Amino acid sequence: MQFGKIIAAGLISALAFAGAATAQDTIKIGVSYPTPTHAWAAGMNWHAEQAEARLEALYPDVDLILINSPDPAAQASALEDLVSIHGIDALVVLPFESEPLTDPVLNVKDSGALITVVDRGLSQPGIEDIYVAGNNPELGRISAQYMMTRLETGDNIVILRGIPTIIDNERFDAFMAEIEGSGINVLDHKHANWNRDDGFEVMQDFLSRFPDIDAVWAQDDDIAIGVVAALEQADRAGDGMFVVGGAGMKETIRGIMDGNELVPVDVLYPPSMIATAMDVTVAAFKSNGPVAGRYILGATLITQENAESFYFPDSPF
Amino acid sequence: MVVESPMASDGLLCADSLSKSFGTVPVLFSVSFSLRAGEVHALIGENGAGKSTLMKIMSGFHNPTSGRIIYDGKPVTLPPNGGAEALGIVLIHQELNLSEQMTVTENIFLGREIAKHGILDRPAMTARVVQLLADVGLNISPDTRISELSIAQKQMVEIAKAMSRNARVLIMDEPTAVLTEAETNILFKQVNRLRDQGVAIMFVSHKLHEVKEISDRVTVLRDGQWIGTSATSDLNLDDMARMMVGRELSDLYPPVNEPNVDADIALTVNGLHTKNITDISFELRRGEILGFSGLVGSGRTEVFEAVCGLTPMQAGTITTFGNEIRFASVAQARDAGIVYLTKDRKGRGLLLNEGMQTNLTLLALPQFANRLMLDRKKEAFALTRAVRRFDIRARDPNVRAKDMSGGNQQKLLLAKVMEADPKIVIIDEPTRGIDVGTKQQIYHFIAALAAEGVSIVVISSDMPEIIGISHRVIIMREGQIAGTVSGRDINETQIVRYAAGLNEETIHA
Amino acid sequence: MPELAQTDATIRKPKIDLKMYGPAIALVILCIIGFSLNTAFLSEGNITNLLTRSAFIGIIAVGATFVITAGGIDLSVGSMAAAIAGIMIILMNALVDILGTGVLTVAVGAGCAVLLGALAGLANGLLTTKGKIEAFIVTLGTMGIFRSLVTYFADGGTLSLNFDIRGTYRPVYYDSLIGVPIPVWVFIIVAISGWFLMNRTTFGRYCTAIGSNEHVAQYSAINVNKIKTWTYVIQGLCVALATVIYVPRLGSASSSTGVLWELEAIAAVIIGGTVLKGGYGRIGGTILGALILTTIGNILNFTDLISNYLNGTMQGLIIIIAVWLQRADWGKSKD
Repeated sequence: MQFGKIIAAGLISALAFAGAATAQDTIKIGVSYPTPTHAWAAGMNWHAEQAEARLEALYPDVDLILINSPDPAAQASALEDLVSIHGIDALVVLPFESEPLTDPVLNVKDSGALITVVDRGLSQPGIEDIYVAGNNPELGRISAQYMMTRLETGDNIVILRGIPTIIDNERFDAFMAEIEGSGINVLDHKHANWNRDDGFEVMQDFLSRFPDIDAVWAQDDDIAIGVVAALEQADRAGDGMFVVGGAGMKETIRGIMDGNELVPVDVLYPPSMIATAMDVTVAAFKSNGPVAGRYILGATLITQENAESFYFPDSPF
Repeated sequence: MVVESPMASDGLLCADSLSKSFGTVPVLFSVSFSLRAGEVHALIGENGAGKSTLMKIMSGFHNPTSGRIIYDGKPVTLPPNGGAEALGIVLIHQELNLSEQMTVTENIFLGREIAKHGILDRPAMTARVVQLLADVGLNISPDTRISELSIAQKQMVEIAKAMSRNARVLIMDEPTAVLTEAETNILFKQVNRLRDQGVAIMFVSHKLHEVKEISDRVTVLRDGQWIGTSATSDLNLDDMARMMVGRELSDLYPPVNEPNVDADIALTVNGLHTKNITDISFELRRGEILGFSGLVGSGRTEVFEAVCGLTPMQAGTITTFGNEIRFASVAQARDAGIVYLTKDRKGRGLLLNEGMQTNLTLLALPQFANRLMLDRKKEAFALTRAVRRFDIRARDPNVRAKDMSGGNQQKLLLAKVMEADPKIVIIDEPTRGIDVGTKQQIYHFIAALAAEGVSIVVISSDMPEIIGISHRVIIMREGQIAGTVSGRDINETQIVRYAAGLNEETIHA
Repeated sequence: MPELAQTDATIRKPKIDLKMYGPAIALVILCIIGFSLNTAFLSEGNITNLLTRSAFIGIIAVGATFVITAGGIDLSVGSMAAAIAGIMIILMNALVDILGTGVLTVAVGAGCAVLLGALAGLANGLLTTKGKIEAFIVTLGTMGIFRSLVTYFADGGTLSLNFDIRGTYRPVYYDSLIGVPIPVWVFIIVAISGWFLMNRTTFGRYCTAIGSNEHVAQYSAINVNKIKTWTYVIQGLCVALATVIYVPRLGSASSSTGVLWELEAIAAVIIGGTVLKGGYGRIGGTILGALILTTIGNILNFTDLISNYLNGTMQGLIIIIAVWLQRADWGKSKD
């Protein structure tokens, strides 16, 4: 596993955590995240289960309790149950939404548990002891930098964005800032909602509308699958055309390993970050070094050279 | 016969030379009408004569194309959509205007609830409604939902509602059409009471004997024209009928042929039980017209809904032409030659938004289809034939059923069931809300069908009708057969005695 | 003819009612707008894309026209499409080992999809009629069931069709016959069959009668429950057909497949002039409604004049205007 590599920044707090394990025999850690309804989340679920098995095998006195919830209210109830029924010593949480879950997480913290927040921050700072997240602006920047290595002044690209959210804006704004001044034209950008069907239809329309497109930033591997289908249908997949997605879907990585020219690279926004968070949280009880702080995972550019180390064929994502 | 001047403007509410056209179609030609305080003024005429239009203009629901309305001596423009109620002019519609899912109290006070600071004063409203219901002789709880009431009860609620508005002018569009004799008497008692209080009452009815009984003056319209206004005491029923149709109407009822007592038995019902009726047994012969009389709610309709597979049977046998059958659906009854013509023309009989052709062929549609595919030529031919045979008059062959007059709707419904080529026809209230000319036609159709060998059951609350056309009459009371009369025994006294439970039939033993 | 019966008999004007053409007028206006924004809008490629894309919603909406005309509603179609797509993919992947990657596997998969659609529709229909539960509740329930089934089968992720079979199946979406893509042919055939069924058969007449007044239908010897159940089965079959041509497009299904298709199908039906409370159905209008919905999305992708965030606003406005064109009293002097 590549955790060491992908930790790009970690603001290490001076606070060391005295193991709450002294109070009881087993260390109970609750892990709460949304019920997977799309591939990325399903991948996260898989990585969480893998990490659970691995950590419990490694530390017989660690008990990880995985709970997924279909909506924010259910997640809030699940957090209450983790405290009242299981009496957890630490919580790893990927909040459904920031606002509605801030208070429930605060209540867990008041019970004395260590708090690790994953991916989506809470709306009030300072609640979490550990924060593990992907780097959305970095994903935009890395994508832009790759585009600039392949394109020249006057080349045209189109952008397919995700669901209109902060995440999408951060990625998009960073991409645009990076590409500014390079002479690459962004013909237009439309929302494809991190969805294959929308990616296909939006790309079809871009192809009808713009006769000259040199590359596509699809921002997401699902969108990229739709884009590739539209390019192939319109017979415009050749001539050096390439598509940059994002996230790290196993099919995409497999393609990169096999030297796919249409989707030659991917930018990592790994669902395995939940496993990172679980590792770090366990380390807070087991390590003799300080652990609390912010862990921002790098948006690594996956190329044919390094693809193999990001390939998990058994994961659903 | 003394005919008064139509220009008389001595009334509380007067119409002065009103004309009305819908689009390019004129329906009223310079009609004048005066309604005095403390009188009951009947308005009669065939369907399509313009009665409804005149009423609606005089209550503000339509604007006249030309002419004036004079109220309390002053020309007025009545506010539309029932706003005239605030002036004391109340119209009770023929199509009852009640919210089905609301209670009696809520309906009566709809739009003018008694409230304190926006909070409903329910006890006050309930108390008032209890009083009103007692006045109209209706024994129901004020909290009953309208949907749970019979049509007759709904009508009485409408009347109670109008009375609650302290109306100075009360306009009633065929209030007795769906009422039994007993209910009509209660209504007339209220009408008389209101007249004595000085209320001006305008009253439309096709039942001329009621007009004779209740009204002080009569105005007759024909084809949108004013024909005459007279004191009721100066007219007999024949005079009224003649003025309405413009010709002699000597034979309202066709001659009743002698029933053939040796004809085959078309239908035998033995020991029929359902939820509300018990132990019904009778026979119907080929070519016979069998009347079913009794009060509304005595179970007449339910007997035949059970026979036709519309209501489940709990016990009993039904035999047609020697075969015992039990229908699970109307389609099976139809295929066995039994059709039921509902009394609820608008709710169960016709698709109001569809044209004549769709309605005509709906019951017998498999006959108009080759496998699944419709034979539209055959349908069109059937319409031409039915229009001719049943004299259905429509301005336009594509007219929607809801835009047809009641009489034409009834003829269309009759034509619809006849398309199934039945051997047994059950007709529930064949002439409710229909003008006298069309009534006569329908009676002749019924007689002609019987003469062709079709067996007919007529369910009716109209006593003269039952007496006038039936070979034999079965009277029902509280879900059971109270008695059977035939030949010279078919008279009002006998029927009423059975219906009221005064004659005990011996054959039950 | 239901169309003629709908005209107001008191008006002595030509029999052609302008309102009938509301959806067509709306579509023409949209096309003019699209063309003026970018002439490529009317290019052969874009028209082909538009029609192909309309096929999914259009085919489903033809089925919905029957359900709605008979006074029902089916909210489960989008989820049903996702579930059928998921099961079909699993089945075809499994069949590769037995039947190989040929046409037979695809045919068996598609056949099973059609069967599943019919069964799902039958379930909706029987629960509504025999179970006497409101259609809204029944199909809301099955909507949740079908949606969670696909999530379960896909383990929360995406089900992908075996790459070896894609080559065989791909032409069903991407190939053309006489210059017209196959999905469009399917759409045309479904539309014509639907029109015929609605306007020329006893079944269509019965649907109208039931939606217009169930009591009258019952008293007119119509087996109301049977006809209503059949409308849901037809709806299920239409969903299955749409799914069979959808799957080869991207070769995958996930829990986001077919999201909100039910609302798009209902919108297409209503834009087309069918009455939501039943009793009057227009298949031709439904086709136009589906084309209008697809065209709106297409035009929004063709311009950057409108903020991306306002796409929903534009769609909502155009739907309301299209229905208004058809409902408003155009200069009719009603009394």
